[in-house]
Amino acid sequence: MKKLMLAVGVLLVAAAPAAAQDAARGERLVEERGCTACHGPRGVSPVPLMPSLAGQQPDFITLQMILFREGLRQVPAMMEPARGLTDAQIQDIAAYFAALPSAPKPDRGPRNEALAQRGAQLSAARNCNACHLPDYSGRANVPRVNHQREDFLAHTLAEYRDNLRVGADTQMNGLMHGLTNDDIRAIAHYLAHRE
Amino acid sequence: MIRRHLLGLAAAAVAAPSLAFAQAPAAPPAWQQGRPAEMANSPLAPHAPRLTVTPPDRIPVSNIRVPDGFQVELWAHGLPGARVMVRGDNGTVFVGTRVIGRVYAVRDTGSERQVTTLLQGLPQPSGLAIRDGALYVSAIHRVLRVDNVEQNLANPQPVDMTAAFGLSDAAHHGWTHIQFGPDGRLYFSRGVPCNICETDGERYALIHSFNADGSDRRIEARGVRNSVGFDFHPRTGHLWFTNHGRDWAGNDNPSDTLHVNLRRGEHHGFPWCAGGFQDPAVPSQRLCSEFPPPAMVLGPHVAPIGTHFYRGSAFPEQYRNALFIANRGSWNRSRLAGFEVIVVREVEGGRLVQEPFMTGFRDDANQRFVGRPAGVLTMPDGSLLVSDEDNGAIYRVSYRR
Repeated sequence: MKKLMLAVGVLLVAAAPAAAQDAARGERLVEERGCTACHGPRGVSPVPLMPSLAGQQPDFITLQMILFREGLRQVPAMMEPARGLTDAQIQDIAAYFAALPSAPKPDRGPRNEALAQRGAQLSAARNCNACHLPDYSGRANVPRVNHQREDFLAHTLAEYRDNLRVGADTQMNGLMHGLTNDDIRAIAHYLAHRE
Repeated sequence: MIRRHLLGLAAAAVAAPSLAFAQAPAAPPAWQQGRPAEMANSPLAPHAPRLTVTPPDRIPVSNIRVPDGFQVELWAHGLPGARVMVRGDNGTVFVGTRVIGRVYAVRDTGSERQVTTLLQGLPQPSGLAIRDGALYVSAIHRVLRVDNVEQNLANPQPVDMTAAFGLSDAAHHGWTHIQFGPDGRLYFSRGVPCNICETDGERYALIHSFNADGSDRRIEARGVRNSVGFDFHPRTGHLWFTNHGRDWAGNDNPSDTLHVNLRRGEHHGFPWCAGGFQDPAVPSQRLCSEFPPPAMVLGPHVAPIGTHFYRGSAFPEQYRNALFIANRGSWNRSRLAGFEVIVVREVEGGRLVQEPFMTGFRDDANQRFVGRPAGVLTMPDGSLLVSDEDNGAIYRVSYRR
């Protein structure tokens, strides 16, 4: 039954005229593919190591979904959800998450002033705000990194450092080169406690 | 014992000066090396790649301008990231990409072009070459060969040649161009894994060639920072290549360049000299006068990719053996430069001149671009195909008397 509904959904989308990104169509796809189980209702993740997607840059979501679909970024949990999506469906999903309100995570825990200060210094030295913008809300294929889960940020930065994560280019791999786990924890703490 | 031996080799490699540079914890990221303090807050960053299909009605064919007598049409679309193109004897055009990791096959049925994805999931398959019915694919360090490719478009069975070639897997500037030379050898470019650095000149900043099976490696050109396009002159057989100058040295320095490699192993100046620009960021100095000058300077940050001698006769006489260069366009410059196809021609006395050939991708008034030309290929009827990486499209340029 579920399979049948999916097939009907795909037909409907294929029959629709090529319109610009549509957040409402995206919401239906998000429900069908069960994205909320990990990324949370309304795109705020309650699950350790799973990113929040509310207010994320649509071009960034589109790029990452295509890397998942093509098997270029290999995350086991994302293989099935990304399978067979068309470019238009991916852009609809991106439009849905991008339109959700982004806010500091409500349960992010107390701010450690010394750790945040150290993270701010490490960030400044790497000009993170040149691409991610001074409020860290991101632009185009550069992701929003404020309002994100601290554990996910630390995990991702370490993946870049260890060359386990690819992007559109090697910038993030280069920027994380040589940082210790403590450095990365400090940057993640600083970013997660931005307003 | 074997394990110990391998570890020993690895330790020795790390101790070599070139790699020590890359390993040093204090090293800035590759793309930021040589970035002066006064540019620390510059918002310039590489443009986001577009990996989604551009619908044909949004492909900017009507923006494109060519010289009088030429015309442009949309030849194929639905190939996100389209760059280099090669053509099989039976007429299939194969198209390489970078970020999206695909190799496409385009079949011309006469009335339309059918696009299929031949290979996917590869790390930046930017290099394609074809010989004796076999397609060679270069993706950073990986090398694949698909035998009888045009007979196996639906079910290609690549032979993995990666180990035989032994290329570096350093991703930065690792996207190659490959092509068979008139000597039957397979030529590869290999850029530097940095913006500006003193590097291991035996492994990086070069163009090298191999037998088709990966044996007998030979360095053809040295001191080449990052070449992503080269071709062999149809009459002389000389290797002509374009080269990208480094970033963060200012809006107008250094210039990207066109070179001819007259002697095997010739050194073209990197890291000390680029297009007459003596780089102040390199501690040990060698002078520009020590290196052969480029055949032509192309302009700062224009990013030449496709570098292709016209092999047809349908274009007017002055285009015989002319060199077409697709300048994919700048990111590290406050005003956009490039985003056009130029043609380099030989005039009286052997002097080279460059002229714009295909323009209109760059919108100077609004400082935006609507396309990024990347690959160039002569077709048997003398028309010219030009790929547009940003729109995943291929244009056909023809001449009508």
